[in-house]
Amino acid sequence: MSLYLPIAEMSLNVWLLLGIGAAVGFLSGLFGVGGGFILTPLLILLGLPPAVAVGTGALPIVASSVSGALAQYRRGNVDVTMGWVLFAGGIVGTVVGVDTVRILRKMGQFDLALALAYVTFLGAIGTLMLTESLATIRKLKHTGTASTRRRSEHVWLHRLPLKMRFRRSKLYISALPPLVIGAFVGFLAAVMGVGGGFVVVPALIYLLRVPTGLAVGTSLFQAVFVTAVTAVLQSATNQTVDLSLALLLVIGGAVGAQAGAAAGVQLKGEQLRLLLAALVLLVAIRLGFDLVAKPAELYSLQTFVRGLQ
Amino acid sequence: MRPRARVIPRWARGSIPALIALVGIAMAASGAQPAAPPHAVEIARKQPAQPNPAAPKQPAPAPGDAARKVPPAVPGPPAASPSPQTPAPDPAGPAEIIEADVSTHTVAVTSAFAGTEIVVFGSVVRSRQESAQSGYYDVVVVAEGRGAPAVVRSKDRVGGLWINTASVRFEGLPLYSATASTRPVEEIAEPAALVANGIGFPRARMIPGRGSGAMTPAEIDDYKTAFLRLKQKDGLYVRSDFGVIFIGRSLFRASLKLPANIPLGALSARVFLFHEGQLLSIRTASVVLRRTGLERLIYDFAFDHPISYGILSVILAVIAGLAASIVFRRPMS
Repeated sequence: MSLYLPIAEMSLNVWLLLGIGAAVGFLSGLFGVGGGFILTPLLILLGLPPAVAVGTGALPIVASSVSGALAQYRRGNVDVTMGWVLFAGGIVGTVVGVDTVRILRKMGQFDLALALAYVTFLGAIGTLMLTESLATIRKLKHTGTASTRRRSEHVWLHRLPLKMRFRRSKLYISALPPLVIGAFVGFLAAVMGVGGGFVVVPALIYLLRVPTGLAVGTSLFQAVFVTAVTAVLQSATNQTVDLSLALLLVIGGAVGAQAGAAAGVQLKGEQLRLLLAALVLLVAIRLGFDLVAKPAELYSLQTFVRGLQ
Repeated sequence: MRPRARVIPRWARGSIPALIALVGIAMAASGAQPAAPPHAVEIARKQPAQPNPAAPKQPAPAPGDAARKVPPAVPGPPAASPSPQTPAPDPAGPAEIIEADVSTHTVAVTSAFAGTEIVVFGSVVRSRQESAQSGYYDVVVVAEGRGAPAVVRSKDRVGGLWINTASVRFEGLPLYSATASTRPVEEIAEPAALVANGIGFPRARMIPGRGSGAMTPAEIDDYKTAFLRLKQKDGLYVRSDFGVIFIGRSLFRASLKLPANIPLGALSARVFLFHEGQLLSIRTASVVLRRTGLERLIYDFAFDHPISYGILSVILAVIAGLAASIVFRRPMS
């Protein structure tokens, strides 16, 4: 059974789209990431124009983040104050990001920038998480207890002004680092079609020392708003949001997210991080390979059906 | 169902000048005066005007007919329009004219649209062909969609990475092009005649992109080949060398595949009648592919009110997310 997608101007199988939505939703519920970093490359692989993939990809992240964030909120895993601060920075980043996409597309280097961004961020964060989680697991085997959080690290972070109390995270730190993280994530949301969980979660854990569970929930919370803004801006500037496509992904994703959140309860924090790190690295390697290996087709075609696309 | 009535749908506006230009080129190529009807434009063969079928009684030999093997003149009124089957026309008689149309003039693109097929059919008026198999005539059908600028980019290895380095911009190429013929077009007529009639690779302005450096014609040709290859891969440039079939002495048909990823809008189908490399007649018919129902609603909304559309999409996504967490709340806790 296939469905014609009015904005993408192509026809795709309904079950395939529902399945992709569910798989991405499962990851989102399990790891507390939006799943956009898997969804966007998958959609492009299906033959969707990258612009439509990035624009439409924001909507399933909104939906799965809403249901994921709610599930986490009920467990008390969301630091709402932190979420708002992240989002405030996110708005700025998103606006800059959408415009960057427009310029890159005009230059014909959007695909390259997209691939490079994916490889760089996913590679760096994946490696970081992998080494950290492996070290924790090894330490646990030796001593039986994980080391407690060491608040004394990152001294310079504590010297910044604009100190705020983040009650849920038991932190009293400057609002500037979360604002900057938020802005950076908003930029990535627009350029890469991602919710930014893979940046927010490690940043909260390793930079701000937010507990893993809270970092996951808070990341989902801010992803709802950042991706919502991205979707509206993409629609307004590029008209690349396909509602039919989005709804199928959303339906599959909402179901998958719940299953993922349930599965996540069974796993320990360091195991979750190890799995996520492996997944992130796999995507990075796959995309990096395409950049380095000689492509089968050296030419590519871009038609300007309506303005910039 | 439709939000508001429009004379020309938004998506078709851009294609109309292109269509007019296309018809204009076709006319200029055959040297005829423009005949106004937009739906089916007939271009008579380049020869003295013959306003009515009675004219052939004049004994003056028609130019170009000398080489044609035709039976001797038959006195009396030959080839009157109601009886195009009359076997032996006057050597100086009226020339053949091709008549053609498309099976559907409007293709409704709904949620179930997965590509379709249209049939271009027609007949040769005053056919001199003895049977469908005789191969006396060659018919070429060229269906083209609206034009849009396209950029072909080529990758090169820079610092270990394969990145786009050079590009050529093509202007005036149709987004979709299908050519069907009774045999390979190269066998039907000389390259010059094909080019003049826009058969085969369309004429396009090819502009090397900035930073691509000076390109030799051979290098630009590589991009042209790449363009064709990529379009063929997408099913948007199709060629069917034996796709036109004569069913009788004068009746022919050709079916053209419209893939699901075809850009919507107007398609014009030009139908050419050839005999021994000579163009005898041209006919143009058109098809419009348009969204209907929900697909149209979504598309119009997205382009007419992009901000509201974006907000609505987000609201729907949020509702779906909330619905999912309500549905799954019980089994979770």
